[in-house]
Amino acid sequence: MFQYIIRRILIAVPVLFGVTIFNFLIINLAPGNPVDMFVNPNMSVADITAKKEALGLNDPLWEQYGRWMGNLFQGDFGYSFSTYEPVISNIADRLGPTLLLMATALVIAYLIAIPIGILSATRQYSFIDYLTTTFSFFGISVPSFFLGLGAIYLFAIVFPIFPTGGMNTLGGSAGFTDTIMHLILPALVLGTGIAGSMVRYVRSSMLEVLGQDYLRTARAKGLHHFIVNNKHALRNALIPIVTIIGLEIPLLIGGAVVTEQIFQWPGLGQLTIQSIGSRDYPTLMALNFLAAITVLFSNLITDVMYSVVDPRIKYN
Amino acid sequence: MKRTVQKVLCLMTILSLLILTACSGEATEKDNTGNEKKQDSKSMFIGLVNPPTGFNPINAGDVAAMFIQKYFQDTLLEMDGPLNFVPRLAESFESEDGQHYTVKINKDAKWTDGTPVTSEDLAFTINTIANPKSETSQGANISMLAGLEANGKLPEGQTELSSVKIIDDKTVELTTAVPVDPNYMKEIFGLNVLTLPKHILGDVPVEELSKHSYMQNPTVSSGAFKFVKYEKDQFVELAANKDYYLGTPELEKLFIKIMPAPNLVGQLQTGELDFNVSKGIGKIAVQDYETVEGLKNVVTNVEPTIGFQTMYFNNTKFNNEVRTALSMAIDRQLIVDKLLKGFGEVIDGPYSSVSPFLDKSVGAIEYNPEKAKEMLEKAGFDFNTPLEFVVPIGNKVREQSAPIIAQSLEAIGVKTKITNYDFPTIMAKGKEGAFDLLLLGFTLTLDPDVSSIYATGATYNFMGYSDPEMDALLVKGKQEPDTEKRKVIYSEIQKKIIEEAPIVTLYSDHDFSGVNKRVEFGKPVTFGMHHNLQKWSVSGAN
Repeated sequence: MFQYIIRRILIAVPVLFGVTIFNFLIINLAPGNPVDMFVNPNMSVADITAKKEALGLNDPLWEQYGRWMGNLFQGDFGYSFSTYEPVISNIADRLGPTLLLMATALVIAYLIAIPIGILSATRQYSFIDYLTTTFSFFGISVPSFFLGLGAIYLFAIVFPIFPTGGMNTLGGSAGFTDTIMHLILPALVLGTGIAGSMVRYVRSSMLEVLGQDYLRTARAKGLHHFIVNNKHALRNALIPIVTIIGLEIPLLIGGAVVTEQIFQWPGLGQLTIQSIGSRDYPTLMALNFLAAITVLFSNLITDVMYSVVDPRIKYN
Repeated sequence: MKRTVQKVLCLMTILSLLILTACSGEATEKDNTGNEKKQDSKSMFIGLVNPPTGFNPINAGDVAAMFIQKYFQDTLLEMDGPLNFVPRLAESFESEDGQHYTVKINKDAKWTDGTPVTSEDLAFTINTIANPKSETSQGANISMLAGLEANGKLPEGQTELSSVKIIDDKTVELTTAVPVDPNYMKEIFGLNVLTLPKHILGDVPVEELSKHSYMQNPTVSSGAFKFVKYEKDQFVELAANKDYYLGTPELEKLFIKIMPAPNLVGQLQTGELDFNVSKGIGKIAVQDYETVEGLKNVVTNVEPTIGFQTMYFNNTKFNNEVRTALSMAIDRQLIVDKLLKGFGEVIDGPYSSVSPFLDKSVGAIEYNPEKAKEMLEKAGFDFNTPLEFVVPIGNKVREQSAPIIAQSLEAIGVKTKITNYDFPTIMAKGKEGAFDLLLLGFTLTLDPDVSSIYATGATYNFMGYSDPEMDALLVKGKQEPDTEKRKVIYSEIQKKIIEEAPIVTLYSDHDFSGVNKRVEFGKPVTFGMHHNLQKWSVSGAN
């Protein structure tokens, strides 16, 4: 097992390397350059040229990439082209809020999806089944900006229970409960969206397992249906679900662009969109690098998790 | 089983009806009054859409950053009406001959750490901007000063500009290369140059200035407010500068909140916002204007602006007749009436009705589709090839105006193909001339200089327009110190712009904003937004 993990990590290094080259090329292929964003018509040509030179944009592409890689080996992600702050602190500022929001949303999604999925599968074609299927359709098909604006309208304007956005009350003491109050609406909106698709996975996975012979045997033994469903069936149904969860971990750091914007949640999603809009190459490269690491890491975690939920799977 | 399906459907219908009723207007009004958040009378909250990129006084790349900075960094002057200049950091800013300017800095002006603001600071700022090694967006604002190279920078090896002379602690004499209109100097230099604190940044090497921590966290400033903190993409917190030389501000705190446009409306309604900034960086969507007008706790404020939208023609592909004909085919009034709901004006040239240089007597671009069609036929225009119509995303009204323009053109048989791109792509396409028609908007200055668009080879001359007569007029207009004589030159320019139609100016939209009734002083205006910041105030109750 340990050997397996080490091997996977070693394979990850060239993959990461390739990913950065690929990203760098794609980012540079996008038309326009960072200096174009200075839309001030009063800016002189000399200033624009000086800026390009200072940002190193006149050097050949391979040289720019080499510089970036060289700095990376020294743990330096460079400075943002638009804010002139170190990229790493720019990202660090937003990593916390994004993790908080996405983790809460994912937890909410699983808390909703797993019980409902089981319920729906065990009572296939019942009223509850139809209701949950409808709910999951709703969760999948209603876009999050609509749900978000609707939630703000209902719970912040018509019934002013929650704030309309942000992470803390301005001018107030930024306490724990204050953040929680700001967190509830965006996390619920995101959670509902993710739960929508999760319910369907859990349901279909459970249905498949429920039809197996060994479950009939278990029932025939006289086991309580609660134990049959939640121990024998669920554990086997979890394998495909673990894969789905693994696929969703990168979401944690990707952030949710739309929801973050609507609720003014200061997360990585917003940073990504701004960086693309301003062709902020160093920030984009760092964000992609972070995303690549997370994807590789969560894939590894998923594979390890398989052997936990299904002892038949062994790595060596 | 059929029953259950029916039951579910029934339930869903009822639920959706309930949601729809909840969304209707009555519910809003009912809850409007009981809904105000209690906010103290010492803090004010204003709303922006665009986040600032940083607070570098000499290198603010975006409009939002420049706007926010002026709350805590004072410019030398402020303009409270068209070409009406009032003192701010400069007590006086005078010239006898249009070439020598005496700037007297307010004798009480102090940085927030107690150090006086002196002529040394101003000279340091100008020299830093002029230094070829510094990263700055302010270069054009000092380009009129004498002693600069053709590119607007100091000659190699020099670090001090000879035309900036320190007379005493608080007085500086500036000399321009040629005499200029004092209003030009006051607007371009006086309203834009933000002074750097020499005692903080004087020893920092010029190349490292833009990465200095001061540019993210400007703890020492000269304005009515002090910078407290910037929470990324959320808000900028400012606190009163109690020792401000024009008087202690009434407010204790000022928050500039950043949010998407639809939230501006919601927060105006809940009272979480005192006003939205408008000005292209905090605009409410046009379809929400009515909602804002209906809010009981808000009054609306409409201001004409100097910003304008244009459609570029690719001059290398279309000759003068074709360009004029295409301009005549566009129903610009329809855009103003329907798209802007009347909150704007049709403009025939780069000057809106607020500009003192607007000359309506030179004529207008008429709307005459029949004649346009005739002209195109006569010019042998190819009606079969669709025109590449390139539209930038970002400004919703502009995006929506594209199909209206396309329809106007379709009506006379001209086919178009609309493609939307983000801004950097638009700039790249513009430079390559890879378009037939291109939408682009500008907010220039009240000073009538438009050479950045119409001069040969200018930064924004994407259309490839080149006319020696126009170039000569633009230079002449820029160098004429007498305002009345300038008006004559710029009338000539406006006439040429209409006749030659290198681009067609479409409309100038008004700034529309909602202001909470608790605001007693301070609101979003086109001129003098940052004037008398110390008097800005709100009442506690609504």
